[in-house]
Amino acid sequence: MPPLINPITLFFASVFTSNILLTNFLGMCSFISISKDWKSSFGLGMAVTFVMTITAAVSWAVLHLVLIPLGIEYLSFIVFIIVIAAVVQILEMVIDRSSPALYLSLGIFLPLITVNCAILGAILFIQIRSYSFIQTVSFGAGSGLGWWLAILLLSAIRERVDKNPVPAGLKGPGITLITIGFMAMAFTGFSGMIAVQ
Amino acid sequence: MKKDSLVYTVVFTFVVALAFVFVLALANDLTAARVADNKAFATQSAVLKALGVDYADPDEARRLFAELTLDAGDATGPAWKATIDGQSLVVVQETGAGLWGAITIMLAARPDAGRVSGVAILAQNETPGLGGRIEEAAFLDQFRGERSDGGIDVAVGAELSGLGDPDPDNGRVDGVTGASRTSVAFGTIVNAALARVRAISGGL
Amino acid sequence: MASKALTVLKENVWTNNPVLIQILGICSTLAVTNNLRNTLVMTVGVALTTAFSSMTLSAMKDLIPRKVRMIVQVLVISFYVILIDIVLRAYLPDVSRQLGPYVGLIITNCIIMGRAEAFAQANKPLLSFWDGITSGLGYMAVLMAIAAVRELLGFGSLFGLRVLPAGFTPWTIMVMAPSAFFLVAITIWAAKTMQARKPAKSAPRPAAVAPQGR
Repeated sequence: MPPLINPITLFFASVFTSNILLTNFLGMCSFISISKDWKSSFGLGMAVTFVMTITAAVSWAVLHLVLIPLGIEYLSFIVFIIVIAAVVQILEMVIDRSSPALYLSLGIFLPLITVNCAILGAILFIQIRSYSFIQTVSFGAGSGLGWWLAILLLSAIRERVDKNPVPAGLKGPGITLITIGFMAMAFTGFSGMIAVQ
Repeated sequence: MKKDSLVYTVVFTFVVALAFVFVLALANDLTAARVADNKAFATQSAVLKALGVDYADPDEARRLFAELTLDAGDATGPAWKATIDGQSLVVVQETGAGLWGAITIMLAARPDAGRVSGVAILAQNETPGLGGRIEEAAFLDQFRGERSDGGIDVAVGAELSGLGDPDPDNGRVDGVTGASRTSVAFGTIVNAALARVRAISGGL
Repeated sequence: MASKALTVLKENVWTNNPVLIQILGICSTLAVTNNLRNTLVMTVGVALTTAFSSMTLSAMKDLIPRKVRMIVQVLVISFYVILIDIVLRAYLPDVSRQLGPYVGLIITNCIIMGRAEAFAQANKPLLSFWDGITSGLGYMAVLMAIAAVRELLGFGSLFGLRVLPAGFTPWTIMVMAPSAFFLVAITIWAAKTMQARKPAKSAPRPAAVAPQGR
């Protein structure tokens, strides 16, 4: 029996209340290193959103049309990684040929996200929760947008924080983690916004 | 053969991938029976937990399950009948939407659904540490012996005492702190399960 | 050999700890650090995967064509992670169910790829295995400490056993995500301050910088 979760609820829940980064800690590595700079954050966030939505849909198709019929779900991890790598590779080629301007702002971040845990994490969530196709797309897009939103907010905050005096041991990653902690607390405030069904 | 030649690269990748997949397939096959066993045991132990029957080890659980329960599953889903300490009970397996995915519970109640005997969780995908805490005994034990002729109300938000609801006669339990939506969804599933208990007993 | 092994141990657990100094690989495990048992299983999984994949890749390094090096690395890592997943499903079904997708996320743990690139490429299989295990130990030490604080204050228990009196009001914040960020930050702060006070005698090895942005 498929879970009867409203895709719209799912979308908003994955952007705000259960942000994949702030509650599931996925995609932390690039989040901390890239968020120093607002412009790169914007580009990376866009790339993550883009790739996550597409790979979520493709992986759903691969899972339900190939892995489950053949009974080889135990290989799913490796297949998903290959799907992500392939989608990133194809996207890079397509963008490179069709729009040089977009390639400059987005293309350079694409190789970075092949092994971004947020992408694989979202796909594994989709598999484990056995979402339908519509739910998959709204969850993928929502999680990507949530990630984008979080990194934009953080980079804006960091531009200020990095100019202020911070204890030596906390400089850099330390104070950034504390900032993320406060952001995560603020985001739990959204939880009253969305009711189930 | 040269290490960077195309043929070597392709053959190497192919052989490595084949070898790894072979080992994984073997490991998967070897454990398949055990995994299926675990799954059956998960269902049986959830039924026993809902009935409030204690067991010491998996073997005893299997024996008790075979002795105590009678399959009463119908088109709407799996169900069992049992008599514990002279009280006949109905156990139903019910699935419903949680916040993130399906939650499957096992609920045991008197045939008229007037009092819950116990609730156990078979599967859930809620956030670990938040909604996932519906699996904790402190939450589930509140259902034990709870009056349910008017359904069960799972309290959330400001109504929450934070210490559990000890009164078995008010048809109310405390939700999980910080997981209002999961708690409300859980209440919905419990009440759907109660309706099925009534339907199964009414069909007699 | 023995002295080199000791240096590796010290570097990986303290002077160049993957979490404290390199801030790597916390994505996959931080989410389960509100429970000691799950954290233990996850960190042991990470340590074993790092050790075995480093060993395998080090043994194979002369055979791997340059063009497909990354793919073979991912293949080897995924292989061990899938094995762990299969074993967990068969022998620890409860833990496997609770960990859900996080077992699979070990694949994207930056530490594993980082050690394979930075250490296994240039060292013998056995030493690479040791390097992987010690990196895993450094990782485990930090996350277990965080999990101990979170489970103790969030649930009043350790490894599921109640240790604080019943009158203790659990700190809900410790169960929720923000506390993990704060605790990692505080641990980093403490470690950095201690390390700054007592300057490391051996200079950090430059090759240990793992690829960023994973």
